[in-house]
Amino acid sequence: MNPEKTRVVVVPCSGIGKPFGTVSREAAYELCEELRPESTRLVALAKLVLGDAAARELLAQYPAVTIDGCKQMCASKMVKQSGGTVAHEVAVLDVFRRHKELKPEGIAELNEAGRKLARVLAEEVAASLDSSEQTVKGASHV
Amino acid sequence: MPEYLETTVDKFTFRVAKDRLYTPQGAWVFWMKPESPNRVRIGLADYLQQRSGDVAFATVKPVGTKLAVGEMLGEIETIKTMVELPSPVSGTVAEVNAALDVTPEVVNQDPYDKGWLAVIETTAWEADRAKLLEPEAYFLAMQAEAKEELKKL
Repeated sequence: MNPEKTRVVVVPCSGIGKPFGTVSREAAYELCEELRPESTRLVALAKLVLGDAAARELLAQYPAVTIDGCKQMCASKMVKQSGGTVAHEVAVLDVFRRHKELKPEGIAELNEAGRKLARVLAEEVAASLDSSEQTVKGASHV
Repeated sequence: MPEYLETTVDKFTFRVAKDRLYTPQGAWVFWMKPESPNRVRIGLADYLQQRSGDVAFATVKPVGTKLAVGEMLGEIETIKTMVELPSPVSGTVAEVNAALDVTPEVVNQDPYDKGWLAVIETTAWEADRAKLLEPEAYFLAMQAEAKEELKKL
């Protein structure tokens, strides 16, 4: 991770013990460690709940992408409550509805379908980040 | 707007609409009299939808399907489980809620109104209704079940 290039903070839900929560975290790891390590920074929801100063500082500096495992939308709510700005809000359920064949199962370890769903979600967010970056670059040339 | 019986168990509040009947499993049956005295509208009670979690897909048998009591009317896939919905009455599926295809979350958001699942043209309503629970009876059973579930946490 290069702080100079960080553009967004990624906050997944902490739905421990639930497959959709696990998908949100796996997708966040995929995004931040594999797909866009240079431009993302992963923040654990628990740190925001605890009021961790470094996590709040990151939110103050960068917009957030939240990935929620259920419609309680804890990650999104917590980012807003911590003074951050949610630039992009993703619900695992919405992605699953578009990929019915990828039914996630398992908690400590996702099944193959769950891992694929996490990958699809991460790729969608990465594409969205690329798209917004292109928009910014385009605007800077005008 | 129907009136409700309401109970809070731990941090969850559950409502039971008083203008319809219920199956012990938590489906509601609304008799559409006087406009359609042979038809009933069917959906999931508030407790069942909350307990089952966010709905991902709701699949209901198509219009024209003939069903006996207990035959599968639909399946609700949620983030937690698959809810199988046996038909609480015998008859023919007359309408399916079109909103389920586009916004299945309506089952969670408005279980007693916009989140209905199907309308059935009944063939033995008087006999079938006798096997359903009055709202007060379902409320007590639901409340007891919710408290038992809480003990498992």
